[in-house]
Amino acid sequence: MLHEITLKINGEEYQVAVKSHHTLLTVLREQLGITSPKRGCENGECGACTVILDGKPVNSCMVLAVEADGSTIETTEGLAKDGNLHPLQEAFIEHNAVQCGFCTPGMLMSAKALLDFNPHPTEEDIKVALAGNLCRCTGYYRIIEAVKDAAVKMEAEK
Amino acid sequence: MRPFDYYKPKDFQEAIALLSQEGKKTFPVAGATDLIPMARDERWLPDIVVDIKALPGLRELKLIDEGLYVGAAMTMNEIAASPLVKSTWDVLAQGASSVGHNQVRNRATVGGNIATSSPAADTPPSLLVLEAIVVVRGPEGERRIPITEFFLGPRRNALKKGEIIVGLILPTPPEGAVGSYHRISRRHGADLAIVGVAVLAYPKAEGFGWRVALGAVAPTPIRVPQAEATLSAAPGKPDEAVISQAIQEAVAASRPIDDIRATAKYRREMIATLMRKAIEDVLEKL
Amino acid sequence: MSKKQQHTVDPVGKSVPRVDAFEKVTGEAKYVDDMFFGPDMYYGKLVLSPHAHAIIKKVDVSKALAYPGVKAVVTGEDTPYRIGLYMQDRYIFARDRVRYVGEPVAGVIAISEEIAEAAAKLVEVEYEVLEPLFDPYEAAQPGAPLIHPDMESYTWPPFIFPEPGTNVSEHFKLRRGNVSDEGVAQEVWDQCAAIVEQTFRLPPIQHVPIETHVAVALWELDGKVTLWSPSQSPFAQRDLIAQGMGISHGDLRVISPYVGGGFGGKAGVSIEANVVAMARAVKGHPVKVRMTREEEFTTTNVRQSLYAHTKIGCDAEGNLLAMETEYYFGGGGYNDYGVNIARAAGYSCTGPYRIPNVKGDSRSVYTNTPIGSAMRGFGMPEIHWGIEQIMDQLAEKIGMDPAEFRRKNAVRTGDTILTGMKMTPINLVACIDKAKELIGWDEEKKPSAPNKKRGVGIAIMWKAPAMPPNPGSSAIVRFNEDATVNVYVGGQEIGQGAFTVAAQMAAQALGVPFEWVRVSANPVDTKYSPYEWQTVASRITWSMGNAVKRAAEDARRQIIDIVAKYWDEDPEDLDIRDGVVISYKSEREQPLKKMVIYGLPNENYEGWQGGPIIGRGKFMPTYVTNLDPETGQGTRAVVHYTVGAQAVDLEVDTETGQIEIIKIASVYDVGKAINPDLIMTQIEGGAVHGMSSAFEGIFFDKDGRPINASLVDYKIATIQDIPKKVVGDYVETPLPDGPWGARGVGEHVMVQTAPAIANAIYNAIGIRVPDLPLSAEKIYTAIKEKEAKEKGE
Ligand SMILES: Cc1cc2nc3c(=O)[nH]c(=O)nc-3n(C[C@H](O)[C@H](O)[C@H](O)COP(=O)(O)OP(=O)(O)OC[C@H]3O[C@@H](n4cnc5c(N)ncnc54)[C@H](O)[C@@H]3O)c2cc1C
Ligand code: FES
Ligand code: FES
Repeated sequence: MLHEITLKINGEEYQVAVKSHHTLLTVLREQLGITSPKRGCENGECGACTVILDGKPVNSCMVLAVEADGSTIETTEGLAKDGNLHPLQEAFIEHNAVQCGFCTPGMLMSAKALLDFNPHPTEEDIKVALAGNLCRCTGYYRIIEAVKDAAVKMEAEK
Repeated sequence: MRPFDYYKPKDFQEAIALLSQEGKKTFPVAGATDLIPMARDERWLPDIVVDIKALPGLRELKLIDEGLYVGAAMTMNEIAASPLVKSTWDVLAQGASSVGHNQVRNRATVGGNIATSSPAADTPPSLLVLEAIVVVRGPEGERRIPITEFFLGPRRNALKKGEIIVGLILPTPPEGAVGSYHRISRRHGADLAIVGVAVLAYPKAEGFGWRVALGAVAPTPIRVPQAEATLSAAPGKPDEAVISQAIQEAVAASRPIDDIRATAKYRREMIATLMRKAIEDVLEKL
Repeated sequence: MSKKQQHTVDPVGKSVPRVDAFEKVTGEAKYVDDMFFGPDMYYGKLVLSPHAHAIIKKVDVSKALAYPGVKAVVTGEDTPYRIGLYMQDRYIFARDRVRYVGEPVAGVIAISEEIAEAAAKLVEVEYEVLEPLFDPYEAAQPGAPLIHPDMESYTWPPFIFPEPGTNVSEHFKLRRGNVSDEGVAQEVWDQCAAIVEQTFRLPPIQHVPIETHVAVALWELDGKVTLWSPSQSPFAQRDLIAQGMGISHGDLRVISPYVGGGFGGKAGVSIEANVVAMARAVKGHPVKVRMTREEEFTTTNVRQSLYAHTKIGCDAEGNLLAMETEYYFGGGGYNDYGVNIARAAGYSCTGPYRIPNVKGDSRSVYTNTPIGSAMRGFGMPEIHWGIEQIMDQLAEKIGMDPAEFRRKNAVRTGDTILTGMKMTPINLVACIDKAKELIGWDEEKKPSAPNKKRGVGIAIMWKAPAMPPNPGSSAIVRFNEDATVNVYVGGQEIGQGAFTVAAQMAAQALGVPFEWVRVSANPVDTKYSPYEWQTVASRITWSMGNAVKRAAEDARRQIIDIVAKYWDEDPEDLDIRDGVVISYKSEREQPLKKMVIYGLPNENYEGWQGGPIIGRGKFMPTYVTNLDPETGQGTRAVVHYTVGAQAVDLEVDTETGQIEIIKIASVYDVGKAINPDLIMTQIEGGAVHGMSSAFEGIFFDKDGRPINASLVDYKIATIQDIPKKVVGDYVETPLPDGPWGARGVGEHVMVQTAPAIANAIYNAIGIRVPDLPLSAEKIYTAIKEKEAKEKGE
C-alpha cells in the first residue's frame, strides 16, 4: 500500500510516496538520498539512524515512514547553517570525538536534541541522552567532552 | 519484513472495524518499537496495521475523579517527565524511565508496553502495585480490566481481536504512599531487565500497607500477595526478620527461567537483592 | 570550516586535528551503503546454512528463479574456487558441505532487496546433517570427525604447518631451553618455588563495527570488474578474489571509501567474493549485498574461541624459569586467516616476559562455528588473558607485589626472546612505572559502600605485527600549482587516524605546513592508489609511514635539486622550511608555488628545468626470517614488538556481582608520538573496547545456532557503562626503522584490559575467573560459593 506523505526535512518540504511497511530510515536513505542517518541494526539498538522528529530524537528505523506524515525532521545534513558549522560539530572536531564516523550523525542528533531542550546538561544528563547511541571506536569520553564544550559555547553565543 | 497495509483512523468505529476484519492479522500500532522488530523478524506477520495515535483520548494525561488517567499512546518519556505522574504515581515514572534508551522512550508507549505483554517489560510491575485499570474499547464496546487480570502468559493477554487499549486509570493510592522500582540488567545502558521489582507502601492505621510486584521472573509480571501480607502485618516499619521472610516468600512465588540474559538461580537471588533495595528505598521515603 | 586559519609547521609530534573529521560531522562522508549506483542496480541476498555441519545433497533454485523480479541465483556450482589469505580452504559458496550456521550456500539477485529476501527463502537445500564440533580442544583430538577431510589438497604458505588427517589447520611449536616435546625438563620445574597451572576458556566474540559489511560489485560486459566495499584490505581483496576467480589483477578494481569501523573484521575477504560472483551472473548491473546486524554476527567473521592450558613457574626470588602452554584456537569452519593467529600466539606465547625454558604449542582448529579471523590484538588478548592471571598468582605465591614481579621479569631491549630474536628497542619497565603512578598503585583505596569491594590490578602486554615476512607499502606525493600537496596512499582510514598521520609525516618530510597536505586516499582505489598490503597489524603508522616519508623525501630532493641548479648552489646547503626553499649559504629564498609544476629557468636563463614534482616511496621489511618448524627458533621472527602496561581500579558489588570500573590507566611505548592526542583517543577507545570485550561472548545452542546474534542480546559497552576515567600516557623509545621512531599502538590498547580487570577483581574479592565473559552472574555465583565455603570451614 502506497501513501503520499509530506515531510519537512531540514527546512525543505518533500512529497514522497511511501510503502506502509517502510521505515523512515529506509525512505530517508533509499528514496530521498538523505544518508547521514546510518543503518546499523534496524532494530532500535544502535542509534546510528537517529533523527530529530518534531523536536525529539528517535530511531528512524523504529518509525514507519507513513507515521511521520506532516512531521518536521532534522538530520545531520541540516546542522550547519549558512556554511557555518553548528557548535556541536565544531566541538566534535576539536575534541577528536570522531573516529570512523559512522556513529557520528546519530550522536550529533541525540546531542542536539538534548541541548535544544536542556542547555546546561550535567554529565549524567549527557549519558542518559546518548545511551542509545553505540560507538565502538571512541570510548565515548571525547563525545561527552564535546557536548559539554558545545553547551558552553552555545551559551556564550547567546 | 513482509509488506502490510497501514491506516490511521480518527475515530474508534473505523479503527475497530479495521482491526476486526476476519481472516486478517490486524495490529494496532502506537510507538512501533515492538511492532517493527517483531515484524522484521517475521515473528509477527501483520496484514493490517492500524495507527491508533489519533484516536480521541489516547494522547491524554489528566486527573480524573478516580485518580490519574494515562492515555495508552503516552510515551515513556512523557510519562517519566510528567509532574502529575511524579507527584503521586512516581513508581510508574520510574518504570517508564527505565525502558530502553532515550530514542526508544520517545516512541514507546505504555499501551504498547502492556499489550506486548513481555514478562520483562518495565512498566507492568509499577502498574501492578498501582492497581491500574486497563480501559479497553472493542467491537462490544468499552470494558475495564484490572491489571492483575490483564496478563495471561508470555506475550498473551486479555485483549480480544479488535480491541484497543484506550488508556489506564491509576487509582489514587492511599495517602502518603511512596513507591520504588528497581531493575537489574547486564549493561547499564539500554538493556532489558533480568529482574524488575516495584514496591509501594503507605501508612495505615497500624503500620504500613505494602504492595510488591515482580517483572521478568515469571510467565507474566506478578504481584506477590504473601510477601505483601507479611510486610503489611508488621506493626510498624518491618524489621529485618520480616523483610527477610517477605523476600523469601516473593522468591518462592516467582517462576523464573534460564535464558541468555541470566539463569533462574541468579534471577531468584536478584529478586532478593532488588526487593531489599526497593524496600529500603521506600522505608527511607515513608 | 574552523574559524581561525591554522598554519602548522613541523607537525610531527603535534596534536593537529584529524583531516577526516569535517566530512564526518557534516554527514558528507559517503560510506558504501550511502553511495548511489544508479537505477539499474540489483540487490542480492545470501542463502545461509541453518546447520553447523552438513553435507549438501541438493540445491534447487528453480522456485527462487521463478519468483517475479529475480534475475539470477548463484550457488557453489558456479564458484568452484577456493580462496583464503593464508590457508586456501574456503569455497565462495559452499559446495560439498557446510561448516557453520550462517555459511553462504547461494546468492539470489533481484531488482529489490525485498524480492531477493523473499526469493532467498525459496531456495531449497537438502542437507545430510553431520556431527558438529564446537570445542577446539576436543576437535583437535585424534579420531575427531574431520571438518575438512581433504585438507592435504589445500594450499598454504611455507610458514604454516597444518596437520592433514586432523582438524588442526596450524600447529606452531616453540621449544627453547631445557625442553623436549614432552615439556620443560623436570629439573627446571624442581628449581621453581612457585608453579601455577590453569586452564582458561574464551568464547568467540565479535568486532561489532557500527557499519555492517556491505559490498557492491559490477561485472562489466568486457570482463572488467569493480568492487566497492568498506575494507581494511582493498589490495588483499583484489589479490584473493583475482586469484580465486581467475580475474586479472589489472581488470579487478576495488574501491573502498569510508570504513565505518573495522577492528580486523573488515580485513581480508568475507562476503565480497560472494558479491563478485553474484555480479558475474548479471553482467552490466551493479549488485549490492548488505549484511543485517544478525547476519553480521554469523556470516562475516568473529574472534576465535580459545582453550588455553598454561603452566608457569618461578624461583623464590621471583625469576621466571619455565613455561609450558597449549593454545587451541577455535578457528571456525574456515581458517583462511585464522591460521596466522595461532602462529602469532605461538611465537609470542610467553607474553612480554623473560622465560628461559619454554615449550609452547599453538594450534588453530577447525570447529563448526563462524569463521574466526583477525580482530584487534590478533591472538594477543586471548593469550594474555591467561598469562597475566598466572603471573599475578605466582607473585602472590612468593609474596611479591604483582607490579614488581612484572618489572623484574619484563622483557628488555636486546634480550634474546623466546624465538631467538633480539628484542627490538622498547621500555616496558617505564610503562609499568607510569601505569602504577597513574592508578595510584600504592595508595589505599576505599570502597564507596559497604556492599562494595575495591581492588586494583595490573597487566602488561606485547604484540608484534603478525603478517607474512614481506608485506609492502607504497606512497606517492604530488604537488599542485599553489604548492599544496596530494599524498596518495593505499592504507585505509578506519578511524584510527591513518590519514592524519600520513599528512603530518608528508608535511614534516617536505618542509611544508600541515595544512597544505591533502590525503588523496578516499576512496582507496586499487586502480589509482599505490599498493598497500593491508591496514591491519597496527602496521600503518610504521610501514605506510615509512613509505610516505620516503615519497616526501624523494619529492623534496627533486625540488632542492631544481632550485640548487637555478641558484647554482650546492643542494647540501638548501632546505625547505615552511614551504619555502632556503639557502643557508646565500640566504636566498624560493617559494614552492608554481615552481613545483612549471619548474625554474636554467641557471643561464636559457630554457627551463624541472617540471611537475612527483615523489615516490616504498617500504618493505626485508629481514624477517623463517622459523624452524620444530622449535620456532630463527634469527628474526617479527619486525618489532609494541609493549605496554595497564592498571585497573574497580569495585565489585557483592550483592549483584556487577563491576564498576573506576579507572583504567594505560601506558604504551609508541616509539614516537606522531600525534599525541590521536594516541590518547586510541588509548581511551581501546580501554573501553577491552573492558567491553571482557563481558562479551557469542553463545550457541546444541546445534550450533547462535542464540545471541543481535544487539538485543550481544551487548557492547554503552556510554553508561564506561569506566569513570581512562587516563593514559606513552613512552617514546624510538624504533630504528620506524618513521621518526614510531610504531603502531592501535591494537595494543585493548590487549590486556580483560586480565587487568580480572586481576583487580581478585584483588577486591579474592576470586579468580578463568573463563570469559566476566558476567555479573558468574562473579556473584563465585562470591556466594566462596562465602559458603568459608562458612563451612
Ligand atoms: C531498543 C529497544 C529497547 C527496549 N527496551 C525495553 C525495556 O528496557 N523495557 C521494556 O519494557 N521494553 C523495552 N522495549 C520494548 C518496547 O519499546 C516497549 O514494549 C514499548 O512500550 C512498546 O510500545 P510501542 O508503543 O512502541 O508498541 P507498538 O510496537 O506500537 O505495539 C506493540 C504491541 O502492542 C499493540 N498495541 C500497541 N498499542 C496498543 C493499544 N493502545 N491497544 C492495543 N494494542 C496495542 C500492538 O498491536 C503490538 O502488538 C525496547 C524496545 C527497543 C526497540
Ligand atoms: S539502525 Fe536504527 S537503531 Fe540501529
Ligand atoms: S566513531 Fe566509530 S562508531 Fe563511533
